[in-house]
Amino acid sequence: MNKRYVMVHDENKCIGCQACNIACRSENNVPEGVTRLQVRVEGPFGEAPHLHFKYNRVSCQQCENAPCVSVCPTGAAYIDENGLVSIHNDKCVGCQYCVAACPYKVRFINPITKAADKCNFCKDTRLARGEQPACVTACPTDALYFGDANDSQSEVALLLNTKITYQEKTHLGTKPRVYRIPTKRGGIES
Amino acid sequence: MNNTWGDMAQYDPVTWNWVIAVYLFMAGLSAGSVLIGIGMRWYSRDKQTESPILKAAALIGPVAISLGLACLVFDLTKPFHFWLILVNYNFQSVMAIGVAALLAYSPLGIAYALIVLKDDLPKWKLGFLSGIADLLMPFRKIIEVLLFILAIGVGAYTGFLISAMNAYPMLNTAVLPALFLVSGLSAGAAANLVVALLMFNTDTHSPEVAKMHRIELPVIIAEMMFLVMLFSALYFTGGSAATALASLNTGIWASVFWIGVVGIGFAIPLLAMLLPSSARHSKALMLTVACCSLTGVLALRHFIVYAGQSYIS
Repeated sequence: MNKRYVMVHDENKCIGCQACNIACRSENNVPEGVTRLQVRVEGPFGEAPHLHFKYNRVSCQQCENAPCVSVCPTGAAYIDENGLVSIHNDKCVGCQYCVAACPYKVRFINPITKAADKCNFCKDTRLARGEQPACVTACPTDALYFGDANDSQSEVALLLNTKITYQEKTHLGTKPRVYRIPTKRGGIES
Repeated sequence: MNNTWGDMAQYDPVTWNWVIAVYLFMAGLSAGSVLIGIGMRWYSRDKQTESPILKAAALIGPVAISLGLACLVFDLTKPFHFWLILVNYNFQSVMAIGVAALLAYSPLGIAYALIVLKDDLPKWKLGFLSGIADLLMPFRKIIEVLLFILAIGVGAYTGFLISAMNAYPMLNTAVLPALFLVSGLSAGAAANLVVALLMFNTDTHSPEVAKMHRIELPVIIAEMMFLVMLFSALYFTGGSAATALASLNTGIWASVFWIGVVGIGFAIPLLAMLLPSSARHSKALMLTVACCSLTGVLALRHFIVYAGQSYIS
């Protein structure tokens, strides 16, 4: 059976430190001015003294039903055998249809390659070496979990079975593979 | 809280800009012009002489689509790799289907222009093309039918192209292809008139001009109806779709809509129909009204592209 890589972001543990963001830049040589991964600190919400922030991870959601893949005219955007939404740089002409079609607005044009770019869970580098994605490794509070959800013994599978999680914009039918554990103090909103 | 997460420029929801709006306009104009030119030829009893309207359509069809495609190619981040899009096809993608249609439509449009404008070629020092026109002449009927069908496809596909993106509630509606097709017809009629009057010296009282004028009113009414459907669909959907209605009363795109689309594109041509017949048939007024229709359609494409992308669900 193929792998089903998922990521879980525990918004209770996250402190918005951007270590993941920096680790991603360095691992994937992300050029200046563009990003594959941001953790937006939103808020504060609530009444003092019970204030809280929301830590919103903004990165490719690795949709099972990816709008960027279905709109791509050349097939440069594709889903690989492990379900990772990927890009053939040499097939991309830069029409930006995928950039426009992504409901999460996480695709961008790489200023160096001029092709569409985004998070691919470090597929070509760390994943290929059997390591965890850079953001997961760098996270100082262990707020990120990554693994194969098809393996029932994996940490992510156990987590998804035991914790309340949500995904963003599920009403669009995209079936994202980034799961979020909501802050206990906050409501569940996508 | 300060931004600790870095540059936000890439997250601007407006990805496709005015270049795409101009392309959508040019494709609609080309298709509308061809549909009206060929449609009127089929409807006319005289199939022997090439009417000035048909000549105008035969000329506008390939010229407008070429200018539009030039916009499209130079809007790519890798313009010199545009040929990749001609050899790789993902038929799930509306864009790939559109590219395939354009790949047939553009050369057929040029072939049809050579056929219709055969007698005019020497005047434009293009006499060397007459030989090709003679070779194509026996295939006129089939070229005409194929071009007509492809023109419907080209006119509507631009609407499907942007309605396929379900992230944008204003674009993700079923009426958009229909709206684009009818507004393309209105732009095509206006452009046919301008070119027929200025280049092919048609008479403002000619029966073809009168016939083309008769479709103007139903086309404008259809356009207005589709716009009402578009906005009421957003209203009744509610939620993030309904917030897109704010584009009608806030910001620059509200002005573009009310002044450009409604005022210049609908009101002026409709009011001009109320003028006495003598004034209505003056060349100056006809040209002015036609330019207003073209401006209105161009404004509509800009409004849809920008306001549509500004609201995300």
